[in-house]
Amino acid sequence: MNTNWDRREFLKKTSLATVAALAAASPMAGLISCDSKKITSTADTVILLWMAGGMAHTETFDPKKFTPFEKGMESNSVLSTFKAVPTILDGINFSEGLDSIGNVMNRGTLIRSYVAADLGHILHSRHQYHWHTCYEPPQSVSAPHLGAWIAKELGPLNPVIPAFIDIGQRFTVGEGEELKAFHTAGFLGNEYGPFMIPDPSSGLESVRPPVGMSVKRFESRNKLYHDLISQRPHGEFGSDYQKESLKRSMEQAYILLNSPEAKAFDLSQEPKEIYDKYNTGRFGLGCLMARRLTEQGARFISVTTEYEPFKGWDTHENGNTRLKDMKKQIDGPIAQLILDLERTGKLDRTLVILASEFSRDMMVEGRPGLKVLEQVDQPNVIQEMKHYGMHRHFTDGCSVLMFGGGVKKGNVYGKTADERPCKTIEKPIKIDQIHQTIYHALGIDPETNYIIEERPFYTTPDGKGKAELELLG
Amino acid sequence: MERPFKSTVFYNTLALSFFVLTNLAYGSDDAALSTDTTFWLWNFMGRLHPLMVHLPISFLLLAALLELLTRKNFESSLRPGINTLVFVGATSAVVAALLGWQLSNQEDNIGDSFTVHQWTGNITAIVGSITAILLYRIQKNKQVRLVKSYRLILFLSTLGVSVAGHYGASLTHGEDYLTSTLPWSNDYVKANNFNLTSVRGDSALSLAQQQELIIQVKGIFAHNCYKCHSSQKVKGELRLDQKHMALKGGEDGLIIIPGKPEESEIMRRLTLPRNDEESMPPKGKTLQKQEIELLSYWIARGAPWPDSAGQTTGFRIAKLEPRNPPLPAASSSAFTNPVDLWVNEYFIQNKITWPEVVNDRIFLRRIYLDIIGILPTPEEQEKFVSDQRTDKRSLWIKDLLNRNDDYAMHWLSFWNDALRNDYTGTGYITNGRFNITDWLYKSLQTNKPYNQFVKELISPTKESKGFIEGIRWRGVVNSSQTTQMQAAQNVSQVFLGLNLKCASCHNSFISDWKLEDAYAFANIFSDSTLEINRCDKPTGKMASTKILWEELGNIDSKANRTEKLKQLSEFLTKPENGRLYRTMVNRMWAQLLGRGLVEPVDAMDNEPWSQDLLDWTATYFTEHHYDLKELIYLITTSKTYQLPSTGVSDANNIGSADFKFAGRLRKRISAEQFSDALSGILIPVFPDSIIKYNPFGKLKFDQSNQLFARASLVANDQFLTALGRPNRETVSTGRDSQANLLQALELTNGEKFNRVLTKGAGYWKEKYPESDGLVNALFSKALGREPDKKELEVARQMLGDTPDVDAIADLFWSVLLLPEFQIVY
Repeated sequence: MNTNWDRREFLKKTSLATVAALAAASPMAGLISCDSKKITSTADTVILLWMAGGMAHTETFDPKKFTPFEKGMESNSVLSTFKAVPTILDGINFSEGLDSIGNVMNRGTLIRSYVAADLGHILHSRHQYHWHTCYEPPQSVSAPHLGAWIAKELGPLNPVIPAFIDIGQRFTVGEGEELKAFHTAGFLGNEYGPFMIPDPSSGLESVRPPVGMSVKRFESRNKLYHDLISQRPHGEFGSDYQKESLKRSMEQAYILLNSPEAKAFDLSQEPKEIYDKYNTGRFGLGCLMARRLTEQGARFISVTTEYEPFKGWDTHENGNTRLKDMKKQIDGPIAQLILDLERTGKLDRTLVILASEFSRDMMVEGRPGLKVLEQVDQPNVIQEMKHYGMHRHFTDGCSVLMFGGGVKKGNVYGKTADERPCKTIEKPIKIDQIHQTIYHALGIDPETNYIIEERPFYTTPDGKGKAELELLG
Repeated sequence: MERPFKSTVFYNTLALSFFVLTNLAYGSDDAALSTDTTFWLWNFMGRLHPLMVHLPISFLLLAALLELLTRKNFESSLRPGINTLVFVGATSAVVAALLGWQLSNQEDNIGDSFTVHQWTGNITAIVGSITAILLYRIQKNKQVRLVKSYRLILFLSTLGVSVAGHYGASLTHGEDYLTSTLPWSNDYVKANNFNLTSVRGDSALSLAQQQELIIQVKGIFAHNCYKCHSSQKVKGELRLDQKHMALKGGEDGLIIIPGKPEESEIMRRLTLPRNDEESMPPKGKTLQKQEIELLSYWIARGAPWPDSAGQTTGFRIAKLEPRNPPLPAASSSAFTNPVDLWVNEYFIQNKITWPEVVNDRIFLRRIYLDIIGILPTPEEQEKFVSDQRTDKRSLWIKDLLNRNDDYAMHWLSFWNDALRNDYTGTGYITNGRFNITDWLYKSLQTNKPYNQFVKELISPTKESKGFIEGIRWRGVVNSSQTTQMQAAQNVSQVFLGLNLKCASCHNSFISDWKLEDAYAFANIFSDSTLEINRCDKPTGKMASTKILWEELGNIDSKANRTEKLKQLSEFLTKPENGRLYRTMVNRMWAQLLGRGLVEPVDAMDNEPWSQDLLDWTATYFTEHHYDLKELIYLITTSKTYQLPSTGVSDANNIGSADFKFAGRLRKRISAEQFSDALSGILIPVFPDSIIKYNPFGKLKFDQSNQLFARASLVANDQFLTALGRPNRETVSTGRDSQANLLQALELTNGEKFNRVLTKGAGYWKEKYPESDGLVNALFSKALGREPDKKELEVARQMLGDTPDVDAIADLFWSVLLLPEFQIVY
């Protein structure tokens, strides 16, 4: 938090209520928290790999007893529909199909005890909102995304690369409006909002001159603009902040679109063999772009498998079949991302997190002991392959991966039960702890807050979240 | 043994009946009899409760244990001992319950723990007595068949005594007394870090530092002490929520000795060993080291507690009732508009001289953008400039106000922001939200009187219910975000300029509003009585039903929701509610002059830069049929409105209390104004097919009558978002004027903008084959003026003699992004 003298001067002349209230229009650093304990950062960049739609822990990073498909089998007897395969870590198995990630686990921490919020009715977009903002929707003010907080507190790492980049999510899909509600900087202001790249393969279009415009023309257009500005009587509108910010941001945009760094968005620049390693689809290419952006100095990047109702990880049927495909999409690119970052020396200061809004189970909807309305249909006896899989939404035990950026290496945190319900039985960890751990790694004060509409709004509710230092090395 | 048995049973029964009756008479929640009216002996007796409770616990448990050991032989040698244990245990349970009832009268106990404790305690007393009766009958009448029942009931009473004991302990020691010591508890490590670096120093504290400090101090009080030392509950005659009360001290005198933390009682109490009876806070957690340090520092620096002049609480409260100050005498005939008379007075006071009013060009651009949201055409400009009538400015304003549809399409955006109304957004997917556009558009189009407008939103029809129905998400929501609470928050924010969001979770730290007030207000919007939740935890107290200002009228708490809302809508819109109309006048002033008389516009308790102007205009508004157009007319026809614009270099200065008004503040053109200007000058930005609300039936683009799909009629998109149209998930009453990178990127290479530029260029190429004509037309349409020589030269150089589409598009881009186009001045 920066307490500058301008604000003090200005505080002097205003009443208590006004001071606080003022920030309604333009948030300012909160008064309650301060920068007493300077945290030493261990990361500069965060890459969030988002498994949208609910990734079953027992089918991925926390396999349980495997029961092969058989007609007439009882649903209740199935805990995992894949074999468990050893990883590089002693005694730690992953579900089959994640071997490459298993091989790099000595570079990171596996959390097996994430407990998602209990928001009653299971609704993906609501739990995603909660994961990304740390606040349960709805809120009386617009809550900022994790990436926006980071963009606001730390700014861009490289001034021409937007501080908060979001790769792979379209808003034209179902629940698009609910997704928009948290893909936002909220009260922090649009400046810190996500730079959206819905499709990484056409990412370059977002950062180059308009389609059909040559670089030469782009230059001359910019020159014309400045010529016209300079024709006007000097000092028109003085140093109005609107004018200044307009000029400054137009300048920034011009620099970005013209900069060598913008090439990071251009995946065609990548050697073919590397490109192919990542090219498992949009998510894989998103990982590639994240890597390229990290090399150029990105601050926060989110790469998502994309949320679309009943697609991707949101398996309401055919769970087993579809997860084979999902694993193919993520396994190679994620492992490659870690290795590439390590090779370039970036991994040390880049925190990579893989997470999902909640897990899935074949039987338990929500959390053991709580009755959730509208369960996904699952017959007691499985006759068809389409019922073989984790189709219900489970919140009481989820897996999260963390790599680099000061995270402990080869570490396993927490545990879930080996029998149904496969819920967290050791070291439950919640979203405010996850957020605070990320902030801690980045050196952001845990009590960072802004006075918005006259009251402090913290990075985590009431500023109460605590970093889980055990995750950090 | 016979006699004691009998008398025990008799007295127990007598005591119990008395106890049950009194409990029924007082109810369980109404325990707030104040201590000073109670006879000292009862208080003393009450405080024996914690002592007395140990008797039934130990006696009954021991009795049960012995009963268990002798379960094979009822008439064992231990029988007389067990009998004594049961009778004494049962009696003491009743006595303990009675004393507990006495104690509960002395202390305000609310919450789950208390309720559970109270009722398990009562039940234990009753069950214990039944045990004694059964045992008595077994012994007296040799009814051996009752032995099983007796034993069962005895075990039940031990269960009761354990539960009651546990919750009782939770009350005295805090609910997390036991669990907080466990390593996996959330409280195991304390996270709150206060610090002093921002205020610590040897030099005298500035007012700003004092204020910063007191905010932190009050935060500590609020979280740790208010529970027992605020308006809600006053223990030891001490209140810490208000300055004079905190400094006055409690029943034992001063608690704060400015400059001397080591002599201050408050510091002594806070730092006592935890097991000391006087240690504070008595229940729950002690203060953290940093918190104690901060308090100590605050006292050492003289316990500064700055407040605003004359306000005892430190929170300024605006008057509710309307006020009609007599107009100042006109010092010159130049001032015919009352607004100018007030501003003139303000200018004299602040030694500001009246500048010349702006020229016709600037004036026309201003009123077009302000009143109907679009730019004047070159033809209109010409007509206006050549208009010779002396009162042409007023006449043209009138004409614009009469363009009902243009007016409605412009103000629709303002009201959509404020009323959180949009075509798309969260909630619609599950029918948890209702669109009110049709009602809103028609209300604006017909210029519905503002009192009626508000009435229809608060006591709605099917068409206007969307505002108070809020957004209902599927699943469990925080109790401060129920739709009833949303209604209470939004109605108070939008119509009354009042922030109720703090008070809907706990007593506000920033105003005098209490949790109970917020719930009482929210209750009006509820079908069934709401239970008060503090910080999302039920308190067991049910909300009353009240308007925030009771002097406006009493809501019938027994009436159904429809009736309650009808009453509320009538009471709130009364002319006596000056706040409602001041809030609207202030919003209108902010829209037209770039900054409210009061800032922020949602905090109407703040001081206006001219109270007289605000009050007078609000009264004018109510006396002129609550007519919004009349209000706009009054303001825009003033000389004040026509002064040259002013600017600030830092957006944070806009709300500053030492702000001096000297002419409207410049602001950035809005997303809708920008799109509509593009549509008017180039080609329609939005095809008719994507219109979400069509007031006209089939819209057809027609250059001559400026009819195109206005941006207020389409769904939000990436382009509009980048330019500042909010996602209307929450109330929004102002747009950001600050440009940013994401916006600049959208304007530099955004697909939509570039498509419009290119297509528009094609259209213009046909219309203006020659460069000079084209440049002149563009400047005239976009900026309302001719290009000067140098500008023409630069443009011509770029275009060549016969411009191609690309060059035209680039010229468009360069002109439309000029500050002169982007800013409303």
